[in-house]
Amino acid sequence: MRDKLIAGWALFRKSNWLLTAVVAALLLLGVLFVYSACYISEEHEVKPLYLKQLLWVAMGAFCYVSFAIMDFHQLKKYMWGIYVGSLALLVMVLLFGQTIYGARRWLLFFGNLISIQPSEFAKLSTIVLLAGRLGDPGVQVHRPAEIVRTLLLMALPAGLIMMQPDLGTAMVFVPASLVLMFVAGVPFRYVGGLVGAGVCMVAFVLTTMYLPAKLGAGEPLQERIASMSGLTDYQRGRIEVFFNPAKDPLGAGWNKRQSEIAVGSGGLRGKGYLRGIQNILGFLPRSVAPTDFIYSVIAEETGFMGSVVVLLLFSSVITLGMLIALRTLDPFGRLLCAGVTVMFFFHVFINVAMTVGLMPITGIPLPLLSYGGSFMIVMMSSLGIMQSVYIRCDRRASYQ
Amino acid sequence: MNDRRMLGRFGVCAAGFLLLAAGLGARLAFLHLGPHEARRERLDQLRQFHEEISGRRGEIFDRSGPGNILAMDLPVKNVCANPSVILASNAVASVASQLAELLSLDVDAVAVKLNQPGRRYVRVQRFAEADLAAQVDASGLPGVYLEDSNVRHYPYGSFLCHVLGFVNYEGGGSAGVEQRLNNDLKGQSGVMEGRVNAFRQEVYLSRGLYEPGREGHSVELTIDRQVQYIVEKVIDGLMQEYTPMGAWCIVQNVKTGEILAMVSRPAFDLNKFFEADPQVRLNRSIGINYEPGSTLKSATFAAALNEGIVTQNTVFDCENGAWYYKGKLLRDAHSYGKLTVAEGLLKSSNIMTAKISLMLGNDRLYKYLRAFGMGEPSGIDLPGEEPGIFHPPSKWYGISPTRIPIGQGIATTALQVLGIYCTIANAGYRMKPYVVKRITDPDGRLVFEAQPEVVARVIRPDTAALMCELLAKVTEEGGTGRRAGIEDMRVAGKTGTAQKPVRGGYSPTDYIASFVGFLPADDPEIGIIVVADTPKPVHTGGRVAAPAFAAIAVDVSRYLGLQIFNADVATSDVVLPD
Repeated sequence: MRDKLIAGWALFRKSNWLLTAVVAALLLLGVLFVYSACYISEEHEVKPLYLKQLLWVAMGAFCYVSFAIMDFHQLKKYMWGIYVGSLALLVMVLLFGQTIYGARRWLLFFGNLISIQPSEFAKLSTIVLLAGRLGDPGVQVHRPAEIVRTLLLMALPAGLIMMQPDLGTAMVFVPASLVLMFVAGVPFRYVGGLVGAGVCMVAFVLTTMYLPAKLGAGEPLQERIASMSGLTDYQRGRIEVFFNPAKDPLGAGWNKRQSEIAVGSGGLRGKGYLRGIQNILGFLPRSVAPTDFIYSVIAEETGFMGSVVVLLLFSSVITLGMLIALRTLDPFGRLLCAGVTVMFFFHVFINVAMTVGLMPITGIPLPLLSYGGSFMIVMMSSLGIMQSVYIRCDRRASYQ
Repeated sequence: MNDRRMLGRFGVCAAGFLLLAAGLGARLAFLHLGPHEARRERLDQLRQFHEEISGRRGEIFDRSGPGNILAMDLPVKNVCANPSVILASNAVASVASQLAELLSLDVDAVAVKLNQPGRRYVRVQRFAEADLAAQVDASGLPGVYLEDSNVRHYPYGSFLCHVLGFVNYEGGGSAGVEQRLNNDLKGQSGVMEGRVNAFRQEVYLSRGLYEPGREGHSVELTIDRQVQYIVEKVIDGLMQEYTPMGAWCIVQNVKTGEILAMVSRPAFDLNKFFEADPQVRLNRSIGINYEPGSTLKSATFAAALNEGIVTQNTVFDCENGAWYYKGKLLRDAHSYGKLTVAEGLLKSSNIMTAKISLMLGNDRLYKYLRAFGMGEPSGIDLPGEEPGIFHPPSKWYGISPTRIPIGQGIATTALQVLGIYCTIANAGYRMKPYVVKRITDPDGRLVFEAQPEVVARVIRPDTAALMCELLAKVTEEGGTGRRAGIEDMRVAGKTGTAQKPVRGGYSPTDYIASFVGFLPADDPEIGIIVVADTPKPVHTGGRVAAPAFAAIAVDVSRYLGLQIFNADVATSDVVLPD
């Protein structure tokens, strides 16, 4: 027992204090602003949401510590198991999932007591698997067959999530995997080609949607060409609203517009904690204020100064992640760390970008700040893994 | 892969991240610090609401006070919509179809209303019923909302419609008492200011300003609901029997000038005032100038008696019914030889009236008729009163002095003619007629109370008493107005049968039949005038208007307790058992 305590203390001393401090600060902000987003609500389930968030923070902290203590090399042993397990959960959610807002995203256990979002777990398990495979010296990452295999491993969970349907979450897999492949040493021409293909696809979709109208084609022709893009009407509607929010001010355009107003009305110093009018008066829909739009609440109440501070806190986490990855000699550890950092970055970027109206609205939560259990646990576990890599960054050969 | 290459790749990634983060930062700075100050204020304004609380309009009662409500405000909802929101949501078709179904309106009409880009307010339906309004509220259709409003309600429909008047859609009184007393009746609207939330509901905690509206003053009329009812029933009967183009009637308290009833036919339902033709809305009692005919003769007789030119026993030659004056023939309805003044009034001789008038002279005739109120509005507190047409002697023709006294070449309103008889009945004092008795504020404090007002003293009391006596004979056997006589009470009055003027002369077929009088003749209390425009098949005042006058007189005198029982009649009616 005494030995274990001493070992634990040693680990604790070796850990990256700055990372823990920044994460703790973000978690604290998260609880404070979940309270701010919900305190005005009259529903007795929503009002004490910050207390539940405290519970998630506690569970997240437990995961963070556990993964930090655990040697990350253990993950490599179980990565296939974890991957297949999360795929199984994704299949289950398609079969038995709880439908909310027209999409099956939730698995309920014990009645309604525990609900989990398998897509969140799939993100981490996929990164672990890709890191494990791309970091394996026995895997020849520059060969096309291997690249195809990697892409397939990524596409499997992404495809299942897309079937929920949850296009936004599925899309997170793509840049995360590409960056991971890039860092792992996949030749530039392949990664560049894939990125180019992606850009071409987006360009194609937008062209089919807007070019015929610009050229003066008739309505039926426009409709025929637009349907060639392969997107559903709903998805095309979201994109159209992104470019022209006035088109549907009460429907899909509402959130975007109100979120921008919230951010803009914050000014330099903000309106003060608990004084966000957009949120209090319900212009920022109450259902998304504590989750996907928590950043609008922060931006409105703390202004430019606050929102930049939050952005800087996130940047510190990402910078720390990259530094840890650079410092790590072990390829698996380095790719794990890089993968987690990339995932973290894209969540922050997509969420903030949609909050400030730079991207179409997708259901991507903000790490550590947004209300939500599954996502909190996954993010804290990821950061725990990052911490674990930092603690063991000089032990290159331990696994080999 | 060597470390340098890997470092390079990390660098590329870091640079990419930095670029994206910088983009976010720039956007944040733009949103937070950009030129949004003006927009921010506009947004704040959008979230404020400023609502006028319409003050309830005061109520109108009859003379018995708050028991009898004749006009009142009811709270209702208007269904409104914001077309710009509905258009932007691309929901015109669905909102229109659902609204049309809820409110039972035409879908296309609703869609046209909603399809107005740039407009933020249209009223889809005015005055929706409470349960419909609740359904609209519950439907949650985008851009559709309810608006509080008051609707003026008249519990008795067409009852007293011309006196009461109505309130237009903008809340302004547009006729009758509603118009004349609009400033008293209309409430003072209050203001409510505050914040609204995203669902356009008020945030109660941040209400900035609340000034409740003030209810308008309530008005008590001099109209007696019972008398009005009696008169309306009788005039409706007259309308049915003689199908005139119109009929009107006024009952006035001769001692005070209070109007107890004022009826004009055709009538309209005040709650559907918008369906009524302007001709129907016209209050004929004060709004139509007509040639009064014989009813005007009393004024000349009274003037001559008052001046001492004639006595009731002075004899005139009535020329056997045909008399040329200045080359023009003047006829009597029946030919008479020599008649005393008393008989001439009783028989309504045109020739005698003309001769008396010539003895009076133009100036005195003009002076007396003006003193009786001809040619000027009576000053009654109702809008739309006509002053009549009565030119000064300088504009008269040669035969005017013989025609004006018999009610030709002069136009009056019924109220003016009634004024002559009320003056005679009131010992020669002309009272100003009025319909508003009292105005009180919502707290019951008196704002205004009408006082009887003497406008002029026209004839001496002894002349007036003599005129009463002479006019009472008109309704007895042998008088033109015998059908106006009622049992048990002496009634004074005068018939009038005037040809309607048409282009170039007088119509041979169309007449205005009237009867004007007062009762009881010995101690007059109320004056009544009944006028029928173009009655068919009979057309004389004695046949058409006098019976209506009698019917009104019987019921009104009984209701007002004026009945003076003749002992003989009372005993003869009751058969005592042996």
